[in-house]
Amino acid sequence: MNPLLRIAEIEGLSRRDALRLTMAGVGAGSLSGWVPVLARADAEGKPVAGLGKGAKKSCIVLWMDGGPSHMDTFDLKPDAKGAGEFKPVATSATGVQISENLPNLAKQMHHVALLRGMSTQEGAHPRAKYLLHTGYREGQGGIAYPALGAIVSSELGREEFPLPSYVSVGGRTYGSAFLGARHQPLVVGDPARGVENLKAFVGNGAFDKRTDLLADMESAFRKEYPVGPGKDHQVTYERAISMMKCKEAKAFDLSQEKEAVREKYGSSRFAQGCLLARRLVETGVRFVEVSLGGWDTHQDNFSRVKNLSGTMDQPVAALLEDLAARGMLQDTLVVWMGDFGRTPKINARGEKPGRDHFPRAWTSWMAGGGVSGGRVVGRTDKEGGTVEERPIGVTDFMATVCKIMGINPDKQNQSGNGRPIRLVDKGYKLVTEVLG
Amino acid sequence: MLKSMQCGLLLFALPVWGLAADPEDVAAKPKAATKPMASTKLKALTGAEVSGRIDKLVLDRLAESNISTSPRANDAEYLRRVYLDLAGRIPTVDEAKDFLDSTDSDKRAKLVDGLLAGKDHARHLADIWQVLLISKNSDARRLDRKAFVDWIAGEFAKNRPYNELVREILTAEGPQDKNPATTFWLSQVTVDRMTDTIGKVFMGSQIQCAQCHNHPFTGWRQDEYWGLAAFVMKVVARPPGGKQTTSPEVKEAPRVVKNRKNLPESAKFVEAKFFGGDKPKVKESQALRPVLAGWLCASDNPYMAKATVNRLWAMMYGRGLVHPVDNINDTNPATHPELLDELTSQFQASNFDLRAMLRAMALSETYQRSSKPVAGNEGALSESYARMPIKVLTPEQLFDSIKTVLGSPEGNRAELRKAAGANKPAAAKAANPEALRNQFLALFEGDADADSTEYLAGIPQVLNLMNSPRMNPPGAALRITQGLGQAEAIDKLYLATLSRPATDKEKERALRAVKESPAPKTAFGDVLWALMNSTAFASNH
Repeated sequence: MNPLLRIAEIEGLSRRDALRLTMAGVGAGSLSGWVPVLARADAEGKPVAGLGKGAKKSCIVLWMDGGPSHMDTFDLKPDAKGAGEFKPVATSATGVQISENLPNLAKQMHHVALLRGMSTQEGAHPRAKYLLHTGYREGQGGIAYPALGAIVSSELGREEFPLPSYVSVGGRTYGSAFLGARHQPLVVGDPARGVENLKAFVGNGAFDKRTDLLADMESAFRKEYPVGPGKDHQVTYERAISMMKCKEAKAFDLSQEKEAVREKYGSSRFAQGCLLARRLVETGVRFVEVSLGGWDTHQDNFSRVKNLSGTMDQPVAALLEDLAARGMLQDTLVVWMGDFGRTPKINARGEKPGRDHFPRAWTSWMAGGGVSGGRVVGRTDKEGGTVEERPIGVTDFMATVCKIMGINPDKQNQSGNGRPIRLVDKGYKLVTEVLG
Repeated sequence: MLKSMQCGLLLFALPVWGLAADPEDVAAKPKAATKPMASTKLKALTGAEVSGRIDKLVLDRLAESNISTSPRANDAEYLRRVYLDLAGRIPTVDEAKDFLDSTDSDKRAKLVDGLLAGKDHARHLADIWQVLLISKNSDARRLDRKAFVDWIAGEFAKNRPYNELVREILTAEGPQDKNPATTFWLSQVTVDRMTDTIGKVFMGSQIQCAQCHNHPFTGWRQDEYWGLAAFVMKVVARPPGGKQTTSPEVKEAPRVVKNRKNLPESAKFVEAKFFGGDKPKVKESQALRPVLAGWLCASDNPYMAKATVNRLWAMMYGRGLVHPVDNINDTNPATHPELLDELTSQFQASNFDLRAMLRAMALSETYQRSSKPVAGNEGALSESYARMPIKVLTPEQLFDSIKTVLGSPEGNRAELRKAAGANKPAAAKAANPEALRNQFLALFEGDADADSTEYLAGIPQVLNLMNSPRMNPPGAALRITQGLGQAEAIDKLYLATLSRPATDKEKERALRAVKESPAPKTAFGDVLWALMNSTAFASNH
């Protein structure tokens, strides 16, 4: 066995882990008291921080970058002035209609709870993305906030799990802020190519020789400097090296998936991202974000939304069906959302009609993870521009996601300068209708 | 509240130090802050005397607690430490050899002087101040930050009095391409962000807590926050974006433009008031930032010198005398209050001379102590300064140190291309050195407020260090060890990375690795790889 691994295994938790646990409310005294707590919690498959029910859950966020037009996807208004070109069609959920461009998803709507009363405050992309990823306004109180993925990683990630608990597929996302680099997302640019720098630069035998030499240097350093960052440095290396070697990392290799399954998802990059998300969750990754860009349809809205709907429909439907067939859907919350919705009014500025940014009323959805599907929560007026019933703000939404995941939204973490920061800002109202 | 306010130094009470009273300062001075201080603290000291005061006050406290001190760091430890802290990188092999071989009894002081006068020092300070002053947020994502870094590095190179530098930033106006100091304002688009950054960086205080509510512990009231914010409410700063083609510009309007883009919902409109002090007499249409700068940059301002000294201390000693560095208030006292007060007075007496203060710190025995614990201080907290706390390299220090070992990235491009063929073609794309550095910094970027003694990198960062072709140009070890016998080669690899020769034991172990290697040609690469991935390399000890 690699000596780097051995040392970390014997000595258990690092100082940083210990600090983290203190914040999570586990123990307050010596290290020795915590190790058995961890071991026991683990054996029972329960979370470290004593969260109880629901703690084994994972979350997949399907991020529709640019802000999808709600009136052309999941909240069609055939009688509105700006009705658009698409027809609503019936789905597997009684009384729930969605766009005709989503035929495969229509067959999965019995899993899905549509939230048609989304209403948020930010209408510019970067600020809206920040808001929907963190639950806080950018710059609020002069603090940088962790993304939901980092919160899930820090709350539900298992210490001994060799992969990062927060993975983002398809591009950059928001980070862990004061939760620390350990909960930063592992970003996979192209799902077909897997994780960057996961392979050693030299052959396996040579790599082991290198890490042996490094391990000897590390133990000598720590003998000389027993207090300091040596331990955390070593534990991080140990985790990275075990990730390079672990069987779980095979989850990143899509070629290991059966051809029939791959075909079900489709071959686009987004489709491969959805398949990768399922493989990662199956392996134990707690949070995966898969993004699909192009929804900023100021121009040529209808043909672009039609194309994007096509790109999205098959893989997302396959994901829900696949998760259900594997018995994973109950423990996997799938969230579909974007920056905001788009204006009910069709703009005629360009050659082809478009729709502009619209945070006041839009649609997101949730499925799995115990969410009661086949229903619609909230309603916009007949023009699709005002929420008439059950408005859902960003904190309502975030707190509900936390609740579903078995995370306490009222918990406080400490920011880098020692201020207590709630996972979700106060004043939220849970979307109890989906909580099942 | 704010006791220090009442005992602020009076500018015109200090003629012995040859400070000219700036009429603007006098005009802006609040009456309540003009009570002169006890004169015992007003003596200007030499650099050596300041170092001596640091040592005395730290040792007094250690003696009280009966904690023993670690011995003086050896030359190699000191060399690497002071390069990292003052030049932001480790020394090259030649620089290390020059210093280690020198028998000059004054060589540490000469090294410090040389480093402080060098361009790497100015650049290093610019790196640090850029992170502090130029806010990273989506509104400012298209902002040209380099113009600011180049400008402020130039000012640091001139060792411009810090209060003058701050005054220039606070009053900056005009187009960015004519006045790069405006970048500060262009990156803080909203009034609350401007106010928060001024509080955090120039006042060392998290006054933003009082933005939405009266602060429960410090007694800071919400009105106090918005009184300070009133000084910047008329600033009009538009970052680049949209259809704008001319250079982004900063100006101060004759009156407040109430606009949701500039003001948060919690905004209160009150008269401009110095934080914890008086309301200045101003006309409505008068530019208010010069009035704010006149107060904040006056040599007797109760906040700025203290906040700056505390930050410089944290840079050098791993932790602020008040910790966290930007949380100076009466409920969070300094570990060594007398020391902080004395250093603050000295910084004011020296006319805000950054270089003199850093020099006094770098040459104190407290700074020169080894990081290795000895019997009687194993359990001592870092804030006792019984031994030098171990700091983790910042992303900037790490990149610049890696570059010092490997040589410039351009030099490795051909090798990169070859190597990348096997691993990752995208990595071989030629990129300019600045872009490479920015990519690295983006990957390693953490929380700017994080504790500098904690290792915070995660798996993606470590994978990058271990396996990316950029970090592992295959020819690097060969180039460093060219023409040397095996034992000398090992020494040189240690010198290049840890700024010291290998110990006998280390040499023996490394030579074993070389001997056991199936391909001796790449074996030195194994040693270099291990060294560059070690805690010893990633930390400042």
